[in-house]
Amino acid sequence: MAVIEVENLVKRYKRAKQPSVKSVSFEVAEGEFFAFLGPNGAGKTTTISILTTTLSKTSGRVRIAGYDIESEDRQVRDHIGIIFQRPNLDRTLTAEQNIRVHSCLYGMYAYRPLYRAMPAAYRERVERLADVVGVGDALFKPVGKLSGGMQRKFEVVRSLMHTPHVLFLDEPTQGLDAVARHDLWDYLDRVRRQWGTTVFLTTHYIDEAEGADTVCLINRGEIALCCPPQEMKRQFGAADLEDAYVDFLRRDAGFQADGEPAVAAPPPDRAPAEPPAATPAQGAGGRS
Amino acid sequence: MSPALVQGPDGLAGGLARLVPARRLSRAAREVNAVVTVAARDITITLGSPSGLVMGLAMPLLMMGMIGGMLRENMAGGLGFDFGQFMLVGMVVNMLFMMTTMGMVTLVDDSDDNYSAELLVAPVSRYSIVVGKIVGSSFLAVVSCLGVLVVGLAMGITLALWQLLVLLALAPLMCLSGGALSMIIMGAIKNKKTANMAVMMLTFPQMFLSGVIIPISQSSGLLWLLSRLMPMTYCVDLGRAVVWAGQPDYDAVVQFDPAVNLACIAALTALCLVVGTFLYARSEKNR
Ligand SMILES: Nc1ncnc2c1ncn2[C@@H]1O[C@H](COP(=O)(O)OP(=O)(O)OP(=O)(O)O)[C@@H](O)[C@H]1O
Ligand SMILES: [Mg+2]
Repeated sequence: MAVIEVENLVKRYKRAKQPSVKSVSFEVAEGEFFAFLGPNGAGKTTTISILTTTLSKTSGRVRIAGYDIESEDRQVRDHIGIIFQRPNLDRTLTAEQNIRVHSCLYGMYAYRPLYRAMPAAYRERVERLADVVGVGDALFKPVGKLSGGMQRKFEVVRSLMHTPHVLFLDEPTQGLDAVARHDLWDYLDRVRRQWGTTVFLTTHYIDEAEGADTVCLINRGEIALCCPPQEMKRQFGAADLEDAYVDFLRRDAGFQADGEPAVAAPPPDRAPAEPPAATPAQGAGGRS
Repeated sequence: MSPALVQGPDGLAGGLARLVPARRLSRAAREVNAVVTVAARDITITLGSPSGLVMGLAMPLLMMGMIGGMLRENMAGGLGFDFGQFMLVGMVVNMLFMMTTMGMVTLVDDSDDNYSAELLVAPVSRYSIVVGKIVGSSFLAVVSCLGVLVVGLAMGITLALWQLLVLLALAPLMCLSGGALSMIIMGAIKNKKTANMAVMMLTFPQMFLSGVIIPISQSSGLLWLLSRLMPMTYCVDLGRAVVWAGQPDYDAVVQFDPAVNLACIAALTALCLVVGTFLYARSEKNR
Protein backbone atom coordinates (compact mmCIF):
# COMPACT_ATOMS: atom_id res chain seq x y z
CA MET A 1 0.00 0.00 0.00
CA ALA A 2 1.25 3.48 -0.86
CA VAL A 3 1.88 5.56 2.21
CA ILE A 4 2.59 8.71 0.19
CA GLU A 5 0.40 9.41 -2.83
CA VAL A 6 1.04 12.54 -4.85
CA GLU A 7 -1.04 13.34 -7.91
CA ASN A 8 -0.47 16.32 -10.21
CA LEU A 9 0.89 18.46 -7.42
CA VAL A 10 1.42 22.08 -8.43
CA LYS A 11 2.84 24.88 -6.31
CA ARG A 12 3.17 28.46 -7.36
CA TYR A 13 4.42 30.71 -4.60
CA LYS A 14 2.61 33.96 -3.97
CA ARG A 15 3.63 36.62 -6.47
CA ALA A 16 5.83 34.13 -8.37
CA LYS A 17 5.46 34.06 -12.14
CA GLN A 18 6.42 30.42 -12.59
CA PRO A 19 5.29 27.47 -10.51
CA SER A 20 8.10 25.94 -8.44
CA VAL A 21 6.50 22.51 -8.61
CA LYS A 22 4.78 21.62 -11.89
CA SER A 23 2.32 18.76 -11.88
CA VAL A 24 4.37 16.25 -9.95
CA SER A 25 3.06 12.71 -9.37
CA PHE A 26 4.64 9.79 -7.51
CA GLU A 27 3.92 7.15 -4.91
CA VAL A 28 5.96 5.83 -2.02
CA ALA A 29 5.19 2.40 -0.59
CA GLU A 30 5.01 1.54 3.08
CA GLY A 31 8.49 1.03 4.52
CA GLU A 32 10.19 2.30 1.36
CA PHE A 33 13.40 4.33 1.35
CA PHE A 34 12.63 7.05 -1.18
CA ALA A 35 15.36 9.44 -2.33
CA PHE A 36 14.18 12.71 -3.86
CA LEU A 37 17.16 14.22 -5.65
CA GLY A 38 17.69 17.34 -7.67
CA PRO A 39 19.84 20.45 -8.00
CA ASN A 40 19.42 23.63 -5.94
CA GLY A 41 16.07 25.23 -6.48
CA ALA A 42 14.57 22.13 -8.08
CA GLY A 43 11.56 22.15 -5.78
CA LYS A 44 12.51 19.50 -3.20
CA THR A 45 11.90 21.56 -0.06
CA THR A 46 8.75 23.00 -1.60
CA THR A 47 7.41 19.47 -2.16
CA ILE A 48 8.38 18.31 1.35
CA SER A 49 6.77 21.38 2.92
CA ILE A 50 3.50 20.62 1.17
CA LEU A 51 3.64 16.93 2.09
CA THR A 52 4.22 17.83 5.74
CA THR A 53 1.30 20.32 5.76
CA THR A 54 3.44 23.40 6.44
CA LEU A 55 2.86 24.91 2.99
CA SER A 56 -0.35 25.14 0.99
CA LYS A 57 -0.52 23.60 -2.47
CA THR A 58 -1.81 25.36 -5.55
CA SER A 59 -3.51 22.27 -6.96
CA GLY A 60 -3.27 18.51 -7.04
CA ARG A 61 -4.00 15.76 -4.58
CA VAL A 62 -1.75 14.45 -1.80
CA ARG A 63 -2.46 11.69 0.70
CA ILE A 64 -0.15 10.59 3.50
CA ALA A 65 -0.86 7.33 5.32
CA GLY A 66 -4.27 7.43 3.68
CA TYR A 67 -5.17 10.92 4.91
CA ASP A 68 -5.70 13.97 2.76
CA ILE A 69 -3.17 16.69 3.58
CA GLU A 70 -5.78 19.41 3.47
CA SER A 71 -8.98 18.03 4.96
CA GLU A 72 -7.22 15.66 7.38
CA ASP A 73 -4.05 17.60 8.12
CA ARG A 74 -4.08 16.75 11.79
CA GLN A 75 -4.03 13.01 11.17
CA VAL A 76 -1.27 13.51 8.63
CA ARG A 77 0.81 15.39 11.22
CA ASP A 78 0.26 12.60 13.65
CA HIS A 79 1.98 10.14 11.33
CA ILE A 80 4.99 12.12 10.20
CA GLY A 81 8.32 13.32 11.48
CA ILE A 82 10.52 15.85 9.77
CA ILE A 83 14.01 17.25 9.83
CA PHE A 84 13.74 20.64 8.17
CA GLN A 85 16.40 21.88 5.80
CA ARG A 86 16.79 25.05 7.87
CA PRO A 87 17.89 24.12 11.38
CA ASN A 88 15.20 25.12 13.82
CA LEU A 89 15.94 24.14 17.36
CA ASP A 90 14.93 26.82 19.83
CA ARG A 91 18.27 28.45 20.61
CA THR A 92 17.10 29.89 23.90
CA LEU A 93 16.39 26.45 25.37
CA THR A 94 18.67 23.53 26.11
CA ALA A 95 18.73 20.59 23.71
CA GLU A 96 16.79 18.47 26.18
CA GLN A 97 14.13 21.16 26.64
CA ASN A 98 13.68 21.24 22.87
CA ILE A 99 13.16 17.49 22.81
CA ARG A 100 10.84 17.64 25.82
CA VAL A 101 8.63 20.27 24.18
CA HIS A 102 8.49 18.13 21.05
CA SER A 103 7.61 14.90 22.88
CA CYS A 104 4.88 16.64 24.85
CA LEU A 105 3.41 18.29 21.75
CA TYR A 106 3.17 14.82 20.21
CA GLY A 107 1.22 13.62 23.20
CA MET A 108 3.79 11.15 24.45
CA TYR A 109 4.16 12.49 27.95
CA ALA A 110 2.52 15.06 30.17
CA TYR A 111 4.72 18.15 30.44
CA ARG A 112 6.79 18.61 33.60
CA PRO A 113 8.84 21.76 34.18
CA LEU A 114 11.89 19.82 35.36
CA TYR A 115 13.80 17.07 33.62
CA ARG A 116 13.92 15.06 36.85
CA ALA A 117 10.16 15.20 37.06
CA MET A 118 9.63 13.73 33.57
CA PRO A 119 8.78 10.01 33.45
CA ALA A 120 11.71 7.58 33.60
CA ALA A 121 10.73 6.21 30.18
CA TYR A 122 11.22 9.63 28.65
CA ARG A 123 14.56 10.25 30.32
CA GLU A 124 15.86 6.84 29.31
CA ARG A 125 14.75 7.31 25.70
CA VAL A 126 16.28 10.78 25.36
CA GLU A 127 19.58 9.74 26.86
CA ARG A 128 19.87 6.58 24.76
CA LEU A 129 18.97 8.38 21.55
CA ALA A 130 21.41 11.18 22.30
CA ASP A 131 24.14 8.65 23.05
CA VAL A 132 23.47 6.78 19.83
CA VAL A 133 24.11 9.89 17.76
CA GLY A 134 27.01 10.86 20.02
CA VAL A 135 25.68 13.98 21.73
CA GLY A 136 24.82 12.53 25.14
CA ASP A 137 27.22 14.94 26.86
CA ALA A 138 25.61 18.02 25.40
CA LEU A 139 22.02 17.22 26.28
CA PHE A 140 21.69 19.95 28.89
CA LYS A 141 23.61 22.69 27.11
CA PRO A 142 21.82 25.67 25.59
CA VAL A 143 21.38 25.06 21.89
CA GLY A 144 22.99 28.42 21.10
CA LYS A 145 26.26 27.08 22.50
CA LEU A 146 26.36 23.93 20.38
CA SER A 147 28.12 23.51 17.04
CA GLY A 148 25.99 23.31 13.92
CA GLY A 149 26.59 19.57 13.54
CA MET A 150 25.65 18.89 17.15
CA GLN A 151 22.44 20.85 16.69
CA ARG A 152 21.69 18.74 13.64
CA LYS A 153 22.14 15.58 15.67
CA PHE A 154 19.68 16.80 18.25
CA GLU A 155 17.22 17.49 15.48
CA VAL A 156 17.59 13.86 14.49
CA VAL A 157 16.89 12.79 18.06
CA ARG A 158 13.90 15.12 18.22
CA SER A 159 12.41 13.85 14.97
CA LEU A 160 12.61 10.24 16.13
CA MET A 161 11.17 10.73 19.63
CA HIS A 162 7.60 10.03 18.58
CA THR A 163 8.43 7.09 16.29
CA PRO A 164 6.95 8.57 13.13
CA HIS A 165 5.40 6.38 10.53
CA VAL A 166 6.87 8.46 7.70
CA LEU A 167 10.09 10.37 8.21
CA PHE A 168 10.90 13.34 5.96
CA LEU A 169 14.57 14.23 5.90
CA ASP A 170 15.48 17.46 4.09
CA GLU A 171 19.26 17.28 3.78
CA PRO A 172 19.66 15.72 7.22
CA THR A 173 23.41 15.28 7.05
CA GLN A 174 24.19 18.81 5.87
CA GLY A 175 27.00 20.07 8.09
CA LEU A 176 27.85 16.73 9.68
CA ASP A 177 31.39 15.36 9.68
CA ALA A 178 32.11 12.11 7.82
CA VAL A 179 32.01 9.90 10.90
CA ALA A 180 28.79 11.46 12.14
CA ARG A 181 27.21 10.99 8.71
CA HIS A 182 28.23 7.39 8.68
CA ASP A 183 26.89 6.75 12.20
CA LEU A 184 23.67 8.55 11.47
CA TRP A 185 22.99 6.43 8.41
CA ASP A 186 23.79 3.28 10.32
CA TYR A 187 21.24 4.35 12.84
CA LEU A 188 18.60 5.39 10.31
CA ASP A 189 19.02 2.00 8.61
CA ARG A 190 18.28 0.33 11.91
CA VAL A 191 15.26 2.57 12.44
CA ARG A 192 13.96 1.59 9.04
CA ARG A 193 14.55 -2.10 9.50
CA GLN A 194 13.16 -2.36 12.99
CA TRP A 195 10.38 0.21 12.97
CA GLY A 196 9.43 -0.18 9.34
CA THR A 197 9.61 3.60 8.99
CA THR A 198 9.13 5.03 5.51
CA VAL A 199 11.95 7.46 4.74
CA PHE A 200 11.62 10.35 2.30
CA LEU A 201 15.07 11.83 1.79
CA THR A 202 16.50 14.77 -0.04
CA THR A 203 20.25 15.19 -0.07
CA HIS A 204 23.11 16.55 -2.11
CA TYR A 205 25.37 13.69 -0.94
CA ILE A 206 24.25 11.37 -3.70
CA ASP A 207 26.02 8.34 -2.22
CA GLU A 208 23.49 8.44 0.62
CA ALA A 209 20.83 7.43 -1.88
CA GLU A 210 22.69 4.30 -3.06
CA GLY A 211 20.71 2.17 -0.63
CA ALA A 212 17.37 3.70 -1.55
CA ASP A 213 14.56 1.58 -2.96
CA THR A 214 13.59 4.35 -5.37
CA VAL A 215 15.42 7.39 -6.65
CA CYS A 216 13.33 10.20 -7.99
CA LEU A 217 14.99 13.04 -9.88
CA ILE A 218 13.33 16.42 -9.88
CA ASN A 219 14.55 19.36 -11.91
CA ARG A 220 12.90 22.77 -12.38
CA GLY A 221 9.84 21.50 -10.59
CA GLU A 222 9.34 18.48 -12.81
CA ILE A 223 10.07 14.84 -12.20
CA ALA A 224 12.54 13.61 -14.75
CA LEU A 225 13.09 10.05 -13.64
CA CYS A 226 11.76 7.75 -10.95
CA CYS A 227 13.29 4.27 -10.67
CA PRO A 228 15.47 2.04 -8.49
CA PRO A 229 19.09 3.25 -8.26
CA GLN A 230 20.36 0.13 -10.08
CA GLU A 231 18.10 0.95 -12.99
CA MET A 232 19.31 4.52 -13.10
CA LYS A 233 22.95 3.46 -13.07
CA ARG A 234 22.22 0.98 -15.84
CA GLN A 235 20.53 3.62 -17.97
CA PHE A 236 23.48 5.94 -17.67
CA GLY A 237 26.05 3.18 -17.74
CA ALA A 238 27.55 4.58 -14.57
CA ALA A 239 29.34 2.71 -11.80
CA ASP A 240 27.80 4.72 -9.01
CA LEU A 241 24.73 6.79 -8.51
CA GLU A 242 26.57 10.07 -8.30
CA ASP A 243 28.07 9.63 -11.79
CA ALA A 244 24.66 8.77 -13.18
CA TYR A 245 23.14 11.79 -11.45
CA VAL A 246 25.75 14.23 -12.67
CA ASP A 247 25.49 12.80 -16.16
CA PHE A 248 21.75 13.22 -16.06
CA LEU A 249 21.99 16.84 -14.99
CA ARG A 250 24.57 17.68 -17.61
CA ARG A 251 22.46 16.17 -20.36
CA ASP A 252 19.43 17.91 -19.06
CA ALA A 253 21.28 21.22 -19.08
CA GLY A 254 22.45 20.49 -22.61
CA PHE A 255 18.96 19.82 -23.86
CA GLN A 256 17.73 22.96 -22.20
CA ALA A 257 20.45 25.04 -23.81
CA ASP A 258 19.39 23.72 -27.20
CA GLY A 259 15.85 24.73 -26.46
CA GLU A 260 14.72 21.13 -26.43
CA PRO A 261 12.62 19.57 -23.75
CA ALA A 262 14.21 18.18 -20.62
CA VAL A 263 14.82 14.45 -20.35
CA ALA A 264 11.42 12.81 -20.38
CA ALA A 265 10.43 10.68 -17.45
CA PRO A 266 10.12 7.05 -18.43
CA PRO A 267 7.37 5.16 -16.65
CA PRO A 268 8.87 3.60 -13.49
CA ASP A 269 8.77 -0.01 -14.59
CA ARG A 270 9.42 0.25 -18.28
CA ALA A 271 12.85 0.62 -19.84
CA PRO A 272 13.30 3.82 -21.85
CA ALA A 273 13.03 3.44 -25.60
CA GLU A 274 16.58 4.51 -26.19
CA PRO A 275 19.13 4.16 -23.40
CA PRO A 276 21.28 7.28 -23.19
CA ALA A 277 24.91 7.07 -24.17
CA ALA A 278 27.29 5.70 -21.63
CA THR A 279 30.23 8.02 -21.14
CA PRO A 280 29.81 10.30 -18.18
CA ALA A 281 30.33 14.02 -18.57
CA GLN A 282 30.18 13.82 -22.33
CA GLY A 283 26.77 15.36 -22.68
CA ALA A 284 27.76 18.65 -21.09
CA GLY A 285 26.19 21.05 -23.50
CA GLY A 286 27.92 19.54 -26.52
CA ARG A 287 25.22 17.26 -27.85
CA SER A 288 23.44 18.00 -31.07
CA MET B 1 4.54 -10.66 23.96
CA SER B 2 5.92 -8.13 26.36
CA PRO B 3 7.21 -5.06 24.58
CA ALA B 4 10.19 -5.12 26.89
CA LEU B 5 11.43 -8.25 25.11
CA VAL B 6 11.89 -6.43 21.84
CA GLN B 7 14.84 -4.14 21.46
CA GLY B 8 14.30 -1.03 19.36
CA PRO B 9 16.98 0.88 17.49
CA ASP B 10 17.59 2.98 20.53
CA GLY B 11 17.98 -0.13 22.62
CA LEU B 12 14.64 0.47 24.25
CA ALA B 13 11.58 -1.67 24.32
CA GLY B 14 9.51 -1.67 21.18
CA GLY B 15 11.54 -3.08 18.31
CA LEU B 16 8.55 -3.29 16.03
CA ALA B 17 6.98 0.01 15.19
CA ARG B 18 3.51 -0.80 16.43
CA LEU B 19 4.80 -1.93 19.80
CA VAL B 20 6.16 1.47 20.65
CA PRO B 21 3.59 3.21 22.82
CA ALA B 22 3.95 6.44 20.95
CA ARG B 23 0.73 8.16 22.04
CA ARG B 24 -0.30 7.88 25.61
CA LEU B 25 -2.61 10.79 26.15
CA SER B 26 -6.20 11.07 25.02
CA ARG B 27 -7.18 13.68 22.47
CA ALA B 28 -8.43 16.23 25.00
CA ALA B 29 -5.50 15.62 27.33
CA ARG B 30 -3.15 16.17 24.41
CA GLU B 31 -4.63 19.57 23.68
CA VAL B 32 -4.37 20.64 27.31
CA ASN B 33 -0.85 19.26 27.42
CA ALA B 34 0.00 21.22 24.28
CA VAL B 35 -1.25 24.46 25.84
CA VAL B 36 0.82 23.76 28.96
CA THR B 37 3.89 22.85 26.90
CA VAL B 38 3.79 25.91 24.66
CA ALA B 39 3.18 28.13 27.68
CA ALA B 40 5.98 26.48 29.65
CA ARG B 41 8.40 27.04 26.79
CA ASP B 42 7.63 30.76 26.82
CA ILE B 43 7.88 31.01 30.58
CA THR B 44 11.23 29.18 30.51
CA ILE B 45 12.46 31.68 27.94
CA THR B 46 11.17 34.62 29.99
CA LEU B 47 12.84 33.34 33.16
CA GLY B 48 16.06 32.85 31.23
CA SER B 49 16.20 36.50 30.24
CA PRO B 50 16.75 38.80 33.24
CA SER B 51 16.59 41.90 31.06
CA GLY B 52 13.08 41.00 30.01
CA LEU B 53 12.03 40.56 33.63
CA VAL B 54 13.54 43.92 34.55
CA MET B 55 11.62 45.51 31.70
CA GLY B 56 8.47 43.87 32.98
CA LEU B 57 9.00 45.45 36.37
CA ALA B 58 10.14 48.81 35.03
CA MET B 59 7.01 49.25 32.96
CA PRO B 60 4.70 49.85 35.96
CA LEU B 61 7.22 52.22 37.49
CA LEU B 62 7.22 54.27 34.33
CA MET B 63 3.50 54.26 33.65
CA MET B 64 2.01 54.21 37.07
CA GLY B 65 4.75 56.02 38.95
CA MET B 66 5.37 58.79 36.46
CA ILE B 67 2.26 59.31 34.35
CA GLY B 68 -0.15 58.33 37.09
CA GLY B 69 1.74 60.20 39.78
CA MET B 70 1.72 63.42 37.76
CA LEU B 71 -1.97 63.18 36.98
CA ARG B 72 -2.82 62.42 40.55
CA GLU B 73 -0.97 65.46 41.81
CA ASN B 74 -2.32 67.84 39.19
CA MET B 75 -5.87 66.87 38.40
CA ALA B 76 -7.31 64.51 40.94
CA GLY B 77 -9.34 67.02 42.92
CA GLY B 78 -13.11 67.21 42.51
CA LEU B 79 -13.62 63.89 40.74
CA GLY B 80 -15.93 62.59 43.43
CA PHE B 81 -14.00 59.36 43.96
CA ASP B 82 -10.58 58.11 45.00
CA PHE B 83 -8.45 58.76 41.94
CA GLY B 84 -5.54 56.74 43.33
CA GLN B 85 -7.58 53.55 43.49
CA PHE B 86 -9.24 54.35 40.18
CA MET B 87 -5.84 54.48 38.57
CA LEU B 88 -4.46 51.48 40.44
CA VAL B 89 -7.25 49.19 39.23
CA GLY B 90 -6.93 50.60 35.72
CA MET B 91 -3.19 49.98 35.75
CA VAL B 92 -3.54 46.43 37.05
CA VAL B 93 -5.90 45.60 34.21
CA ASN B 94 -3.80 47.54 31.71
CA MET B 95 -0.64 45.64 32.64
CA LEU B 96 -2.33 42.26 32.37
CA PHE B 97 -3.89 43.16 29.06
CA MET B 98 -1.11 45.15 27.45
CA MET B 99 1.86 43.02 28.48
CA THR B 100 0.12 39.92 27.15
CA THR B 101 -0.57 41.71 23.87
CA MET B 102 3.07 42.77 23.64
CA GLY B 103 4.39 39.32 24.58
CA MET B 104 2.65 37.77 21.60
CA VAL B 105 5.11 39.49 19.26
CA THR B 106 7.49 36.59 19.99
CA LEU B 107 5.39 34.65 17.49
CA VAL B 108 7.22 36.67 14.85
CA ASP B 109 10.57 35.64 16.37
CA ASP B 110 9.46 32.04 16.09
CA SER B 111 8.68 32.65 12.44
CA ASP B 112 12.09 34.20 11.85
CA ASP B 113 13.94 31.36 13.59
CA ASN B 114 11.87 28.89 11.63
CA TYR B 115 10.71 27.51 14.98
CA SER B 116 7.07 28.09 14.14
CA ALA B 117 7.42 25.28 11.59
CA GLU B 118 8.18 22.92 14.47
CA LEU B 119 5.12 24.16 16.39
CA LEU B 120 2.81 24.13 13.40
CA VAL B 121 3.80 20.66 12.22
CA ALA B 122 2.78 19.23 15.61
CA PRO B 123 -0.45 17.22 15.63
CA VAL B 124 -2.37 19.61 17.87
CA SER B 125 -5.03 22.24 17.30
CA ARG B 126 -3.84 25.66 16.17
CA TYR B 127 -5.91 27.07 19.00
CA SER B 128 -3.87 25.10 21.52
CA ILE B 129 -0.71 26.67 20.15
CA VAL B 130 -2.15 30.19 20.24
CA VAL B 131 -3.73 29.82 23.67
CA GLY B 132 -0.49 28.30 24.99
CA LYS B 133 1.36 31.30 23.63
CA ILE B 134 -1.12 33.64 25.34
CA VAL B 135 -0.73 31.85 28.66
CA GLY B 136 3.04 32.01 28.27
CA SER B 137 2.95 35.75 27.49
CA SER B 138 0.70 36.41 30.45
CA PHE B 139 3.44 35.30 32.80
CA LEU B 140 5.39 38.51 32.32
CA ALA B 141 2.07 40.37 32.45
CA VAL B 142 1.47 39.01 35.95
CA VAL B 143 4.98 40.06 36.95
CA SER B 144 4.23 43.60 35.73
CA CYS B 145 0.93 43.53 37.53
CA LEU B 146 2.71 42.71 40.77
CA GLY B 147 5.01 45.63 39.98
CA VAL B 148 1.96 47.90 39.78
CA LEU B 149 0.83 46.79 43.21
CA VAL B 150 4.27 47.46 44.65
CA VAL B 151 4.47 50.91 43.04
CA GLY B 152 0.94 51.58 44.27
CA LEU B 153 1.93 50.61 47.77
CA ALA B 154 4.87 52.99 47.56
CA MET B 155 2.47 55.76 46.50
CA GLY B 156 0.18 54.92 49.38
CA ILE B 157 -2.57 53.37 47.21
CA THR B 158 -3.83 50.03 48.43
CA LEU B 159 -6.67 47.59 47.88
CA ALA B 160 -8.43 45.37 50.39
CA LEU B 161 -7.42 41.71 50.18
CA TRP B 162 -10.81 40.60 48.85
CA GLN B 163 -10.66 43.29 46.16
CA LEU B 164 -7.25 42.07 45.13
CA LEU B 165 -8.42 38.47 45.02
CA VAL B 166 -11.43 39.15 42.79
CA LEU B 167 -9.23 41.17 40.48
CA LEU B 168 -6.74 38.32 40.26
CA ALA B 169 -9.56 35.87 39.63
CA LEU B 170 -10.45 37.94 36.56
CA ALA B 171 -6.83 38.10 35.41
CA PRO B 172 -6.94 35.02 33.10
CA LEU B 173 -9.86 36.54 31.22
CA MET B 174 -8.05 39.84 30.78
CA CYS B 175 -4.85 38.17 29.59
CA LEU B 176 -6.78 35.98 27.17
CA SER B 177 -8.53 39.05 25.84
CA GLY B 178 -5.27 40.96 25.38
CA GLY B 179 -3.53 38.03 23.74
CA ALA B 180 -6.42 37.38 21.40
CA LEU B 181 -6.40 41.01 20.28
CA SER B 182 -2.75 40.80 19.25
CA MET B 183 -3.45 37.71 17.13
CA ILE B 184 -5.14 40.01 14.63
CA ILE B 185 -1.80 41.77 14.19
CA MET B 186 0.22 38.53 14.23
CA GLY B 187 -1.98 37.16 11.47
CA ALA B 188 -1.32 40.16 9.29
CA ILE B 189 2.30 41.16 9.96
CA LYS B 190 5.35 38.95 9.62
CA ASN B 191 8.06 41.54 10.13
CA LYS B 192 9.28 41.95 13.69
CA LYS B 193 9.87 45.71 13.59
CA THR B 194 6.52 46.37 11.98
CA ALA B 195 4.74 44.00 14.36
CA ASN B 196 6.30 45.72 17.37
CA MET B 197 5.28 49.11 16.01
CA ALA B 198 1.76 47.94 15.31
CA VAL B 199 1.40 46.57 18.82
CA MET B 200 2.68 49.85 20.28
CA MET B 201 0.28 51.83 18.12
CA LEU B 202 -2.51 49.67 19.43
CA THR B 203 -1.64 49.49 23.11
CA PHE B 204 -0.67 53.07 23.94
CA PRO B 205 -3.72 54.83 22.54
CA GLN B 206 -5.79 52.04 24.03
CA MET B 207 -4.47 52.90 27.46
CA PHE B 208 -6.08 56.33 27.17
CA LEU B 209 -9.10 55.37 25.11
CA SER B 210 -10.17 52.69 27.56
CA GLY B 211 -9.94 54.92 30.59
CA VAL B 212 -7.07 53.31 32.43
CA ILE B 213 -5.89 56.58 33.97
CA ILE B 214 -8.22 59.27 32.73
CA PRO B 215 -11.97 58.74 33.10
CA ILE B 216 -13.74 58.43 29.75
CA SER B 217 -17.31 58.90 30.87
CA GLN B 218 -17.36 62.31 29.15
CA SER B 219 -15.88 61.12 25.83
CA SER B 220 -17.87 61.85 22.71
CA GLY B 221 -17.75 61.40 18.94
CA LEU B 222 -14.89 59.41 17.48
CA LEU B 223 -13.19 58.94 20.83
CA TRP B 224 -16.44 57.57 22.22
CA LEU B 225 -16.70 55.13 19.33
CA LEU B 226 -13.07 54.01 19.57
CA SER B 227 -13.32 53.49 23.30
CA ARG B 228 -16.26 51.18 22.77
CA LEU B 229 -14.40 49.14 20.17
CA MET B 230 -11.47 48.47 22.51
CA PRO B 231 -11.84 45.20 24.40
CA MET B 232 -9.77 46.67 27.23
CA THR B 233 -12.46 49.28 27.95
CA TYR B 234 -14.73 46.52 29.19
CA CYS B 235 -11.93 44.78 31.07
CA VAL B 236 -11.03 47.97 32.94
CA ASP B 237 -14.65 48.73 33.70
CA LEU B 238 -15.30 45.19 34.90
CA GLY B 239 -12.27 45.41 37.16
CA ARG B 240 -13.61 48.61 38.70
CA ALA B 241 -17.10 47.18 39.01
CA VAL B 242 -15.89 44.35 41.22
CA VAL B 243 -13.63 46.56 43.30
CA TRP B 244 -16.26 49.27 43.85
CA ALA B 245 -19.09 46.79 44.39
CA GLY B 246 -21.44 48.05 47.09
CA GLN B 247 -19.67 51.37 47.57
CA PRO B 248 -21.48 54.72 47.45
CA ASP B 249 -19.34 56.15 44.63
CA TYR B 250 -19.91 53.08 42.39
CA ASP B 251 -21.92 55.05 39.84
CA ALA B 252 -19.26 57.73 39.52
CA VAL B 253 -16.61 55.13 38.69
CA VAL B 254 -18.31 52.32 36.79
CA GLN B 255 -19.84 52.89 33.35
CA PHE B 256 -21.46 49.61 32.30
CA ASP B 257 -23.32 46.78 33.90
CA PRO B 258 -20.80 43.99 34.72
CA ALA B 259 -22.89 41.56 32.68
CA VAL B 260 -22.54 43.87 29.66
CA ASN B 261 -18.81 44.02 30.30
CA LEU B 262 -18.51 40.26 30.48
CA ALA B 263 -20.57 39.75 27.36
CA CYS B 264 -18.52 42.31 25.40
CA ILE B 265 -15.23 40.83 26.58
CA ALA B 266 -16.35 37.31 25.70
CA ALA B 267 -17.61 38.34 22.27
CA LEU B 268 -14.58 40.46 21.34
CA THR B 269 -12.13 37.85 22.67
CA ALA B 270 -13.79 34.99 20.82
CA LEU B 271 -13.91 37.04 17.64
CA CYS B 272 -10.24 38.04 17.83
CA LEU B 273 -9.16 34.52 18.74
CA VAL B 274 -11.01 32.85 15.89
CA VAL B 275 -10.14 35.44 13.24
CA GLY B 276 -6.58 35.91 14.52
CA THR B 277 -5.77 32.20 14.71
CA PHE B 278 -7.21 31.66 11.26
CA LEU B 279 -5.17 34.53 9.80
CA TYR B 280 -2.03 33.43 11.60
CA ALA B 281 -2.23 29.79 10.52
CA ARG B 282 -3.04 30.86 6.98
CA SER B 283 -0.23 33.40 6.76
CA GLU B 284 2.31 30.78 7.89
CA LYS B 285 1.05 28.30 5.33
CA ASN B 286 0.11 30.44 2.31
CA ARG B 287 3.43 31.57 0.99
N1 LIG C 1 8.94 31.54 -0.13
C1 LIG C 1 9.20 31.50 -1.45
N2 LIG C 1 8.66 32.42 -2.27
C2 LIG C 1 8.89 32.38 -3.60
N3 LIG C 1 9.64 31.47 -4.21
C3 LIG C 1 10.20 30.51 -3.46
C4 LIG C 1 10.02 30.47 -2.05
N4 LIG C 1 10.70 29.42 -1.56
C5 LIG C 1 11.28 28.84 -2.62
N5 LIG C 1 11.00 29.48 -3.76
C6 LIG C 1 11.44 29.11 -5.12
O1 LIG C 1 10.97 27.81 -5.41
C7 LIG C 1 11.95 27.07 -6.12
C8 LIG C 1 12.19 25.75 -5.43
O2 LIG C 1 12.77 25.99 -4.17
P1 LIG C 1 13.08 24.83 -3.15
O3 LIG C 1 13.46 25.44 -1.87
O4 LIG C 1 11.94 23.88 -3.15
O5 LIG C 1 14.34 24.13 -3.82
P2 LIG C 1 15.19 22.88 -3.33
O6 LIG C 1 15.05 21.83 -4.38
O7 LIG C 1 14.84 22.50 -1.98
O8 LIG C 1 16.67 23.46 -3.40
P3 LIG C 1 17.94 23.27 -2.42
O9 LIG C 1 18.62 22.05 -2.87
O10 LIG C 1 18.77 24.46 -2.71
O11 LIG C 1 17.44 23.21 -1.04
C9 LIG C 1 13.17 27.96 -6.23
O12 LIG C 1 13.17 28.53 -7.50
C10 LIG C 1 12.94 29.04 -5.20
O13 LIG C 1 13.47 30.25 -5.61
MG1 LIG D 1 15.77 22.51 -0.21
